[in-house]
Parts: sequence; C-alpha cells; structure tokens
Amino acid sequence: MMTLSRRQALSLGTATFLTGVFSGRNALFAQDSSTLTIAYNVNLPSFDPTVGPSAVNPTIQAIYRSIFDQFIGQGPDLSFLPGLLTAWGWNDDKTQIWMDVREGVKWHDGSDFTPEDIIWSLERAAKQETGNPIQFVWSTAGNYKIDGKRITGDVKQYDPTFFKWMAFLTGYVMPKAYYEKVGAEGFEKKPVGTGPYMVDAYEGNAFLRLKANPNYYGGKPAFDTVVFKFVPDATTRVAEIESGSSDITLEIPYEEYDRLKGKAGLKGVATPISDIGMIFLNNIDAMLDKNVRLAAHHAIDKKAIVDRLLRGYGVPIDTLEAPEYDAYDASIKVGYDQAKAKDLLKASGYSTDRPVKFKIQTTRGFKPKDYEMIQAIVGMWRRVGIEAEIEVYEIAKHYELRAADQLAPAAFYNWGNAIGDPTTSTGFAMFGPSPHSVWNTEDLDNMIMPLWGEKDEKKRIDGWKAVSKYIAEQGYVIPLLQYVQPIVYKEKLKVVPNVSGALQPTLVSKA
Amino acid sequence: MIAVSILNRLIVAAVTLLGVAVIVFVLLRVVPGDPIAMMIAPGASPADIAALRARYGLDLSLPAQFGVWLQSVLMGDFGTSISLRRDVLELLLGRLPATLELAFAALIVALAVGGAVAVAGTLVRRTPLEPAIDAINGVLLAVPDFVWALALVLFVGVFIPVFPLSGRIDPTLSIDFLTPFYLLESLVRFRLGVFFDVAAHIVMPVLALALPLATVITRILKEALLEAMVQDYVLLARLKGMSEMRLVLQEALRNAVGPALSLTGVQFTFLVGGTVIVERIFAYPGIGNMAIDAVINRDLPLIQGLVLVFGAIFIVINLAVDLLAAALNPRLRHG
Amino acid sequence: MAEPITITGPAAKPRRTPSRLRNLFAERQVLFGGSFILLLVVIAIFAPFIAPKDPLEQDLMLGSLPPAWLDGAEPGYYLGTDDLGRDVLSRLIYGSRIALLVAIVSASLAALIGTILGLLAGWYGGWADRIISRIVDIWMAFPPVLLSILLVAVFGSGVHSVIAAIVIIDWTRFCRVVRAETLAQSQLDYVTAARTAGFPRMKILTREIFPNIVPILIALVSLEMGIAVVVEAILSFVGLSVSSDTPTWGGMIAQGRQLIHHAWWLLVAPLAVLFTTVLAFNQLGSGLRRALDPVLRR
Repeated sequence: MMTLSRRQALSLGTATFLTGVFSGRNALFAQDSSTLTIAYNVNLPSFDPTVGPSAVNPTIQAIYRSIFDQFIGQGPDLSFLPGLLTAWGWNDDKTQIWMDVREGVKWHDGSDFTPEDIIWSLERAAKQETGNPIQFVWSTAGNYKIDGKRITGDVKQYDPTFFKWMAFLTGYVMPKAYYEKVGAEGFEKKPVGTGPYMVDAYEGNAFLRLKANPNYYGGKPAFDTVVFKFVPDATTRVAEIESGSSDITLEIPYEEYDRLKGKAGLKGVATPISDIGMIFLNNIDAMLDKNVRLAAHHAIDKKAIVDRLLRGYGVPIDTLEAPEYDAYDASIKVGYDQAKAKDLLKASGYSTDRPVKFKIQTTRGFKPKDYEMIQAIVGMWRRVGIEAEIEVYEIAKHYELRAADQLAPAAFYNWGNAIGDPTTSTGFAMFGPSPHSVWNTEDLDNMIMPLWGEKDEKKRIDGWKAVSKYIAEQGYVIPLLQYVQPIVYKEKLKVVPNVSGALQPTLVSKA
Repeated sequence: MIAVSILNRLIVAAVTLLGVAVIVFVLLRVVPGDPIAMMIAPGASPADIAALRARYGLDLSLPAQFGVWLQSVLMGDFGTSISLRRDVLELLLGRLPATLELAFAALIVALAVGGAVAVAGTLVRRTPLEPAIDAINGVLLAVPDFVWALALVLFVGVFIPVFPLSGRIDPTLSIDFLTPFYLLESLVRFRLGVFFDVAAHIVMPVLALALPLATVITRILKEALLEAMVQDYVLLARLKGMSEMRLVLQEALRNAVGPALSLTGVQFTFLVGGTVIVERIFAYPGIGNMAIDAVINRDLPLIQGLVLVFGAIFIVINLAVDLLAAALNPRLRHG
Repeated sequence: MAEPITITGPAAKPRRTPSRLRNLFAERQVLFGGSFILLLVVIAIFAPFIAPKDPLEQDLMLGSLPPAWLDGAEPGYYLGTDDLGRDVLSRLIYGSRIALLVAIVSASLAALIGTILGLLAGWYGGWADRIISRIVDIWMAFPPVLLSILLVAVFGSGVHSVIAAIVIIDWTRFCRVVRAETLAQSQLDYVTAARTAGFPRMKILTREIFPNIVPILIALVSLEMGIAVVVEAILSFVGLSVSSDTPTWGGMIAQGRQLIHHAWWLLVAPLAVLFTTVLAFNQLGSGLRRALDPVLRR
C-alpha cells in the first residue's frame, strides 16, 4: 500500500514535469511575429569589429553590421552608399582626402555621434598596437582636421582602395567617449554602436539577442527583436528551420536547400556571392613545370562539378575576379579540355601509367562541398595522369602554412572580396611580397608592382585585367567557381539576398 | 586514519593536476606551425608579426614560457583568449556550469534508466525475458554517443519536434540569473516557467549522453545484482519470506552498488568527455562546444585552460568515486 | 573516447558458478562475434576481388543513385552511389581495410605498451609501481575526445595519427588491468612456490605469470578493437581522420549525414556496418571473457 502511493506520487510528479516541459515548449512556439530568429552558422567570438582575427572573418560581418555602422554603407548589390559618411573623396592630385559626416545620429547609449568619433576610429585603426588587421591600409592617411561637418586628412601614401575599405572589413565607426570610459573589456561586456540593432543579451556559443534601435538614422528596423542562434552544425540548422524553431537559416547543403524550399511554409533564395573557391599553386616541385600547371587546370570540368555536385549552385570562373568585380574580364578563358591536358602532360613525360604526383590540401566542411569538390577534381586529374594525394586541414592551419609559405604544391581555399576590387582579390592572393600570396615569382611581381598606387582608375583596372590574363596563360593559380549562398526562410518573411554574403537582419522584412 | 587517507588522496590529485599541466603545455608547444598566423593581416610586415608574437609571449624559450604560464595560472590568471579576446578563467567559469548541469543531469538519467533496466533484468532472470534484455542491451552498448545524438536530431528533432534542438534557454526570454547554474537556480528559486524551458532545452543533449551510459550501467549493475542474489545474506532474507522485489531492491542493490559505483565513475568521465561532440551538435553553450572552436582557431591559452579544467573535473570525479566507494564498502574502509 | 564497453578488472569478487545457459550464451557470443570478424578480415584481404567496382572511380553523372531495390537504381550498384558517383558497396568493402588496420594495429600497440608497463608495475611494485601508476592517473585525467582531437590536430590527419592517438590514450586501460592482475597472480601459491624454488624474478614474470594473463588480455584486445573502430569514426566525423579519398566508414558517415534526407543510404549503410562490427568485437570480447574467466579465477 505504502509503495503504491509512493509510486503514484512519483508518477504524478513526472506527469507534472512533462506537462511543464511541454508548455515551456509552447511558449517557444508562441513567439510574436516581431521577433526574427536566425539559425546562424558561426559563433560570434568578439564584439569589437576592428580588432583581432574575428574582425576579418567575413561570416560574422552580418552581426557587426547590425550593431555598428560602417564609415561607408554597402548595398546588397555591393554598391557603396552613404553611411556615417554622407560624401567622401580625394582632392585632384590625391594628396588629401575629405569626408562629410552625417548629423543627428545617436549612439546606443544616447550620446551624440560626432566627427570626433570618426577621427578617433580612423586613428585607432591606423595604430599598430591596437591590433587592427587592416592597419596597413588605415595608416596610409592621417593628420585629420575637422571643419564643421567636414573632415579633411593628408594622404601619406596613395591607396586607391582606401574608401572601399571603409565599407569592408574593420571599416566600422566606434564610440570614442564610451570606449575610452569602459575600456576593451568593458566594451566586450556591453558594446555600443550606432547600428540598427542594439545588443540586448549575449551568451557565447548559444545566442545573441538584439533589440531594435528606435533612434536609428535609417528608420526603425522591421523587427523589435532579432535573435542569432549560433548553430555550427549544418544538420542541426536544417532541423532548426524544419521544426519551426528558427525563422531563417543559411549555408546548408544544397540538397537540403532544394528539399526545404519546396516544403510548405518555407521559401528559399540562392544568390552568387563575392566568395570564390580556388586552388592555390605553390612554386615548388611539380608546379614549376608549366605543362603540369596548365594540364591540372584544363583537366577540371568545372561545369560538371557545379551542375552535378553543387546541383547548379555555383558559377565557374577562370580568373580570381568574379563577374560582379571591377576587373572581371569575360574574355579570359582557360576551358575544360581533357585531350589538351593529356598532351601537355605527355610533353613533360607524364601519362596515366606514369602520373605526375603531388599533394593537395583542402578544408572539409568549411565551405559547402569543399572536400567533395577536391575529391571530384582528384578523380578528374587521375584520368589525365595526375596522381594527387589529399590532405585535410583546419582553416587556421591553412593560414599558418600560407603565412610561412609552406603550403603543398596545391591547396584549396576560398577567397572573399566583398568590395570587388582587384587588389583585394588578385592583388593580395598573387603578389609575392604579400604574406598571403602562395605563388612568388618575379615576372608576376614586376607586373603587379606599379598597379598598387596607380592613380588613373581606368589604367589601374586594365592593368589588373592584363595581370589576370597573364596568370591564366601561365597557370599560376586555378580559380574554380564563385559560390552561391543558400538561404531558407519562413514564407511569412521577405529576404533580399546580399552579394557580400552577409545575412543582415535589415535585409529581412515581413512579407 | 580516514583523514590521513583523504589528505593523501588530495595530494595525489594535486600532483596529477600538475602532471596534466606539464603535458598540456608540452603538447601544445610542439604543435608545428604558428598560433598567431590567424591574426596576421594581408600586408603585415615581418616586424608586425614579431610584435604580435611578443605580445602573446611566444618569443620566449619553452621552459621560460612554461614558468611564466604556470606562475600566472597559480595566481588565477589563465591569460586572454586569442580568438574570444576575453579572460580565459572568466570564460571557463561562465561556461563550466552549463556543462556540469548537462553532465549531472545525464548522469542522473543514466542511473535511473540503467538502474531500472538492471533491476528489471534481475527480477526476470532465468525467464526468456532475460536474454532478450541482455541482447538488446548488448546491441545498444555498441552505439556510440555521437550516433545517439545524430539519431535524436534526425528523428526526434524533425519528426516529433517536441524539444528544442539547440541552445540552453529560449533566447527571447529575458531572465536575470544570479548564477550560471540556470537549471538549478530556477528550480531553487521556484521559477517553474523558466525551469521547464531550461529543462526542455537540456532534454536532447542529456539523452544523447545518458543513453550510452545507461546501457553500461545496466550491464555492470545487473552483473553485480545477479552475483549478490546468490550470496548467503540474500538467501537468508529469502528464507525469512522477503518478497522478490524487496530482495532485489533492499538487499542485493545495497551490496551491488559499491562495486558498480567505481566502474560507473570511470564511465562518467567518458560521459564528460562526450560532451565535446554532443554540445557541438546541439549548440549547447558549454565548455565542450567552446573546446572545438578553440582547437579550430588554435587558441592556445583557451585550449590550455580547457584541458586543465577537463583534467580537474576528471580528477575530482575519480577522487569522489574513491571516497564514496570507501564510505560504502566497509571492507575497503578498514583496508 | 566514447567507451561503450566495460572492462571488469580482477578486483571483481569470485563469480557465481556459471550455469550451462550462460556458457552457451558465451559461446554463442564468441561464435557470432568471431565469425563476423573473420568474415570482415576475409573481405578486407580480398577486397579487390569482392568489390564490384573501383571504390575511387567517380562518375558525376551517376551521383546519388539509390540502392538496387529502389526505383531509379542502376544495375551493378547494389547499395547505390554517393554524391560523387562512387559505388557505396565497394567503398564499404574497401573501408573495412582501414577499419581493421586501425583496430588491429592500435589495439595491439596499446596492449603491448600497457602490458609491459602493467607487468612491471604489478610485479616489481615499489617505485616502478608508484611512477607508472601516477602516470596512468595523470593520463586518465585527460578528456579522451578532446585529447584525440588535439593529437590529430598536432600530428596532422591520417591513419597513422588516428592510430597514434588511440595508442597514446588507451594504453592505460591495459596497464591498469594487467597491473592489477599481475598483483593478484603474484600472491598466488604457484608464484610463491616458484620464488622459493629460486627462479629468477624476470623468468617467473615471463614464464609463469604472463601466460596466466594472456586470456584476459585477448578479451581486452578484442574490446579495444571495437573502441578503435568507433574512435576512427568519431575522428572522421569531426573531420580529422584519413583524408585522401580512400574510403573509411567514419568518413562515409560524416558524408552521408549531410545528405540524409536526399540519399539516406549514404548514412544508413556505413552506420549499419560500423555498428555490426563494433557489436561483433564487443560480443567476441565479452564472450571470451566469460568463457575464459573461470579458468582464470579458479
């Protein structure tokens, strides 16, 4: 009798518990429509968008752009728009820069945004000890002066991309007075910006909750609350959107994208973004043989990879410039030609029976189908007489090896270039003295050298096109494709895809 | 004498932790490559790179680096995380409670499920049901925790979307927690709504961790119970007319718990180790999830702190199991 | 390491008399486990003759074909193809080579190191015992999954790294059991007799004690092989195992997981094989243990 009643009490307790748990779940479903929940693919490591490795991580710019404003804004089509600067430019002989500062903007803590903040942010970015990874650009101008709402500054060394960087990595305006008051640690705890959303709550590796900034100069944002859930596992992200726990997600396998966008209540959009997949070639071993380099390029059927493996989501490219970039030249073609690849290899004494051997490094799961793509390429190479051994590494390892110039003869990487300028794609990737280049030979360096400070824009772009053509002829790198970013969202939403790949909440609205 | 033995064990634990520290340090410093390469900007000069290196103390000799590091660790300074740009100790203390709650919830569920099945299996011994339970349990023993997690995401997550799949708490809830122990705190402060939300979030990762452990507990405990059931004191109790249920629950269980416990302790450390992958899959904000990010980003100060913390947990678990076993087992206490 | 198996050390008390039912069960376990492993070994050795296709041969035009019994299947691809158009069955068959290689080499090496140290610690006692036991304690304080991820990140990915990680982490299992077992044996009469008869200590250890430990060692090795197969899968799962396009089960699971709704057979087939193999090793191990135990316990 005693045992029975105890058991009853116990089961009663369990029942209450379960009802409670389920009702807790119901509270979840009953989210008001003014909350946008994003199942995001990476964790936000740090709030300061101008310092450290996270500042140059393209994936988290969507979050930074929600909290902060850039000096210069950027539309979803990569066009430059007035941001906290309403107008900007060089003087005629390019020895001075000028910027007009937006008026009437307030920081999240209620204080006024002033031209002082702009100058402080620029000078802070230019200082080496701050740890801004793009310091080498920001330090090319200085000696800023305020005249009303106009700031002028001296050009120390002309960099044609200076203003473009103002809409790119680390080009964010930070609050001078607040930052000086709370310091770096205090800023991480309670960041303050001028952006459309304000930080409300943050739990690392779990979520970031933002609330609308009612004083935003661009008007009050569409959602009262935006939640970024950090869900690094793609399968879990798919389950998040499929179960209705999240409203929108991105970077899921293309197969899942195709399946989910056809489901009732869900929609999808997939746009080419300013991110390309490429194979770096290192000027060592077998790669010193031009025949091998070109054969490796000709042997790859990029169209088949895009069509079959990526289910059509991708744009094959033959140079490091994607079609949206300034220095894109459609006339430069390398082309898939198996017979030619075999002939080239034969000229160097290689064949399928006596293949040329080298190692190729790749990430796995860092970009959609990266590893599968490399396996497909190795399969294509095998058919013409190239025996490549695959080695998988973490992306951090890639940076290490690249900085030390110790990459394998071939290494897969993806290169983001949201401002579309040739210096930030072909330039940094191929110019020998750049710590990020892999191919270092004098012929190419001499060709690129004069372009860095070229003041005539047309001559500059034409120069870069010529460089791209030369690289294609010599086979110094193997560009593969421009990525397509898949986004799945509930049909009650409207989403404007961003070519830069940043899924900014401001580009999402209620349908 | 007991106090001496406890003190002895504490000293041993401290020495073990020091050993862990040395090995972690050596292991991470022989990593080929350069931990700051991630931070090098396009266009940085060799001088910039050297300055960065000096800032993180990577320009000193190895023993010097270890000395500096150990000294500051002892002072409670674990350094600053390279990727998260925050104090490592603060990060660890902030995240550890999430993992502890997860691990202990999983342990409790595993003990309950595993214990129940073991008792049931003992009750039905020598009937056709026993080999059935043994066989199913034997099969489930071969399912590793990441496979449980996968199965839970795919089946429970999508087809029966009852429990949340990611996170630790509904992000839209605004709750001012006083401690980082959300589950415990909301229960103690009797905020049931919050408690149920946190509990719902923890269900999936708890199951993924608990089920593999439950199968192991079932097996250990059932074996111990079967052994106990043929001992003299049980036979004696049976002669006294005690019911089968009470025999198992009162007599056999009491005597089987001791030996089963120490093996469960070892298994529990595996469960804690399993949090790394399970937290990742369920986007649960514990130290395991942070550990994978730390390894991917080659964040040395954070990795060192994490491994030390994991090591400390393991040592504490082993210590606790030792002491518990000594307390439960009279023979050990005197020996 | 996700550790699905228990190893009952000799600390366990004398077990009850094994019933005939139990013996039969043990034999059945050995029979099932042993024959499956044997089959797997044969398949691995003769993979080139058994596999219907070249496991590396891709055809993007034949990607994600379903298994033979479903609509849309191509003849010759019995378990369908993956997204690169490679034959799943052939990859599974070739994958058994890596799985067995990792299992056999890592379990043997871990057993070798653990046994030598365990014998020394258990037999000589004193300082040797204290040092070795302390090292084992320190070792056991490392989170296995984190440590193996770290180790593979340090050594770089590849079969050798996976094997090294398993050996480095799991030798302690053997060391603990062998040490305790040696300790127990050394107190038995036959050892005392041998010592009084004046046999050299080393000789007693190798000629008298070691042979008595071999049975439990065999059982342990079998269990360890199951663990090794799982570890290889976990490391592949987090992307740190064998990295060329050589087929491995773990790699296939990781790949199939991405495509579960699109091509479920890519996940289910390798999972089923992995699972059965682990089960077979476990059954073989625990069956052997049960079968050999009475002899050991006297």
